[in-house]
This record gives sequence, C-alpha cells and structure tokens, in this order.
Amino acid sequence: MTTDATIEVRGLRKRYGPHLALDGMTFTVRPGQVTGFVGPNGAGKSTTMRVILGLDRADGGSALVGGRPYRSLTHPLRVVGSLLDAGALQPSRTARNHLLWLAHSQGLGAARVDEVLDIVGLASVARRRAGGFSLGMRQRLGIAAALLGDPAAVLLDEPFNGMDPEGIIWTRGVLRSLAAEGRAVLVSSHLMGELQGTADHVVIAGRGRVVADATVADLLAAAAGGRVTVRTTAPGAGAVLAEAGATVTPAGPDALTVSGLAAEEVTGLLGARRVPFSEVSAHRATLEDAYLELTRDAVDFRGAAS
Amino acid sequence: MRYALRAEWTKLWTVPGTAWLLLGAVVGTAGLGALAAAACSPGECGADPTRTSLTGIHIGQSVVAILAVLAIGGEYATGMMRVTLAAIPRRPAVLAAKAAVLAAVVVPAAAVAVPASLLSGDTPSLSGGPVLRAALGSVLYLLLVALLALGVATVVRHPAAAIGCVLGLLYLFPIVAAAMADPDWQRRLEKVGPMSAGQSIQATTGLDGLPVGPWAGLGVLALWAAGALLAGALALQARDA
Repeated sequence: MTTDATIEVRGLRKRYGPHLALDGMTFTVRPGQVTGFVGPNGAGKSTTMRVILGLDRADGGSALVGGRPYRSLTHPLRVVGSLLDAGALQPSRTARNHLLWLAHSQGLGAARVDEVLDIVGLASVARRRAGGFSLGMRQRLGIAAALLGDPAAVLLDEPFNGMDPEGIIWTRGVLRSLAAEGRAVLVSSHLMGELQGTADHVVIAGRGRVVADATVADLLAAAAGGRVTVRTTAPGAGAVLAEAGATVTPAGPDALTVSGLAAEEVTGLLGARRVPFSEVSAHRATLEDAYLELTRDAVDFRGAAS
Repeated sequence: MRYALRAEWTKLWTVPGTAWLLLGAVVGTAGLGALAAAACSPGECGADPTRTSLTGIHIGQSVVAILAVLAIGGEYATGMMRVTLAAIPRRPAVLAAKAAVLAAVVVPAAAVAVPASLLSGDTPSLSGGPVLRAALGSVLYLLLVALLALGVATVVRHPAAAIGCVLGLLYLFPIVAAAMADPDWQRRLEKVGPMSAGQSIQATTGLDGLPVGPWAGLGVLALWAAGALLAGALALQARDA
C-alpha cells in the first residue's frame, strides 16, 4: 500500500451532446474514511468515477489520485482498486482466471489471487465460470478485483446492488475495515440508507454537481433539528407547549413533533400541568431524513431525479 | 508493455473459445484444401494446383477473423474493456499487446494448416520456389487478416457488427468485381481489395496475368491491416472507454 492516495476532484465538467453530465463536480476523498457518494440515478456519480479512473475524459476540471492523474500511474491497481460494474467480465472465464489476468497486468502472481479470493469468500467456487455467478457473487468477485493490488484508495460504484442482506452486512464490514486500515474509500449509492453506519463522510450529488458535502454526524444533527416527539392524546398538550415557546406540529393521531424545547423541558412542562403522555423522545434522524431535508429545497434537483 | 502482454496472453488462454477457434482454423483450412484437391484427379487440378490446395484459406481467414474480433469485441460486449483500461491506462499498449498475442497464436496455427493443405493436395514439391512462396505467404496472409480484423473491431466495438464489416471488406471487392462488365474495372477492384490482392500470394502459375503481383498483393493487404490498426489505435485513444 502506497502512502498518499487522497482523491481530489476539482470542477469536473462533462457534456454528452445536449446532456450536461458533470457541472463543476468538486470533492475530496480522504484516507481513513468511508466517503459515501449519494444521489439519484443520473446525478453524475458513475461518470465522476469513470473520469477519476481515466476511462472518460472530462471537458474541464481535474481528478487526481495522490496528486497524480490516474492514467500516469504505472501499476494503477496497486494505488486505486475499483469496481464499476460487477457484470463486466467474460462469462466463460473462471473467477480465478479473471483475477489472474488482472494480477498479471500489475506484475502480481497467482498467490495474491488466492489471497483475495479467500478474503471475499469465493475460494470454494474459484474455478467455476463467473458467468454462472449470482449478482451478489459477482459483486464479491468485483471487490476481490478491487483489493487485488492492496491499493491505498478504493472506489466502488453501487456495490450493494443485487446483494442479499448478508452480503450487504459483509460489504459494510469490508468498507469499514478498509477505512480503518487507512485507505481512502469512495462508495456510491442511490440509496442513502445503505450508507448509514458505514460512511463517515457524505457527498450528495445532483445534476452533475455537489449538493452537500458533510460528515455524517453533522448531517444527522442538522436533520434532527433538536426535535422531540411526544406521544399523547390529551387535547391541551399542544397549547401548553406552544405557550412555552415551542413550535408544535401534529404527527399522527396520538403524537406531536415539538421543536424549540429539549426533551427534559417537555417532560417537565407536561408533568407540572398534569397533562398525561405516554412517551417523550428526542427525534432520531436517519441519513434518509437528512438526504430528503437537503434535497427538498432543490426543486430542480428533484425534477432531475424523476 | 511487458505486463500488458502477460495479461493479454493470460486472457487469451483462459477462455475456452481460443483453443477451439485455432483448432477450427487448422482443420477448416486443411480440410477444405484436401477436399478441393480430392475433387480433381491428379494432373487436372486446374491451371494452378497449389492454389487449389490452398482453397481452405477461405475458412481459415473467417475463423481467424472471428478470433481477432472476439479478442477486443468480446470485452466491449461485456463491459470488461473498462476493467482492462483501468488496469492498463496506456491504451496503445493494450492494442499492441492484443496484436502481439494474436500473432503469437495465429502464426503457429497457420504454419500447421498451410503445409497440411499443400501436402494433401496435388502440389509440386514444397521446396520449389513459387510453392514455398505461396506457403509462406499464406501464413502471413492469415496473420494480416487477423490484424485487419482486430483493427476493425477496435473501431466498431460491437462483435457481430465487426465480423460483418471484416467479411464485407474481404468479400465485397471480388463480388463487385465479378458483377462488373468492364474487365479494366474488374482488375482495378481486385488490385485494391484486401482479399483478392492478398491471395495473389498463392499463385504459382500465370503470374503475368494477375491484376497484382504476389508480394505486391500481400503488401496491399498489409496496408489495409496497418490502416485498420491505426484507425483502431486512434479511436481507442480518443474515445471514452
């Protein structure tokens, strides 16, 4: 593993005919973190990854890995491992042979191939044709290919697609451990929820540019907005809390969402005024909530998503 | 380049199609040649018995073209080309490595198929000058067809379309020439067509009557192959993967 593999994407622009695929895409993927790359289909995530890997040429801007363009790397898979499309293999070749030619292209041998097959749990089917693999098995094979060169940076495009729950949990574990080993990890998904508990940092893309770029902790705090949920059927509850300066909105037949007061203040107030309630809880935001919150105002962006 | 060669060599031999296609090229070339030779009694195999024995080159060139097209078209069809170019970003090196490994398997296969065709036929001794030239030239002919097909497939990307283009390039000129009433135009077309010109390397008699001389004809095919590879290299370099 080479030392620095920070991925720096600066102002990427790319146009396919009338369609503007990238419109100033800018973000940084840092070592030791899982950076989630989220956005609806067509937001420019895959195009950005292809540009980073030197597969597509951008009309403007730059993408550097450890300060260098990908195409200038001698053995690129030893610096950046990637999985763009798990189906991108010739079906008549065995899993092991698929990794073997890749290894040979990087000056690596069969021993490393067997190591990564073990890591992804495909050792027992290594000599079977990859064409017969399920999508989940192909994703594992693709991850094996990404790990082949023991790279300092790893790029995975939609690795959760087609995986069963066990596969998803396994993939999350792999991503966490890669980051823990100090690697820069960029993982895209069109479902924010898939990245909960996995990503440290999230880059949200829409219409070819970055809509939000923040740590997961900040995103969740912002989305929660200090709100409190109160379970009560008492008719006076809303009025009592509003008097104290809170903003109260009904959230179903027996619940109120309260903002502007901490949970302890809410319990204190309701208790003092003898208003019955069954539960007071601080609102826990999910990444999904944060995502919706951030993209709600971007009408343009929602139109683009559909 | 060394690593690109190694990777392409591994790729070529880890799909079962390669061995079958090479076997097909040998059996097809020699088999059709033997059949054509057997169809005539000794001494009556046309004006040029050597050329008759080498009729099987038509099968050989088609199979070799398929092998070459699949070497790159198969990767475009599955999307694996992106994996290849991510592993080896120097694109001319990828194409050069593919050309080199193709040559490394087509030449030996042709070097078996061509002598086998001649031995089964009614040809004068192989040591004779024109016959030896026809034999050596036929091996080179198959190599050049493979390189032409590789270049075309790099431009076209889609395997089925690429095979169609290659066979079209090979057979269109003689077919159009045959339909021409004007003998001057017939000769002109046969002179520039990659197959008709290239196969004049097989002629051992009546050289004066050929539209283009044996080595010059093979040279025409070589130009076609070089042009296709150059077009392929430029397209590969310029386009998004």
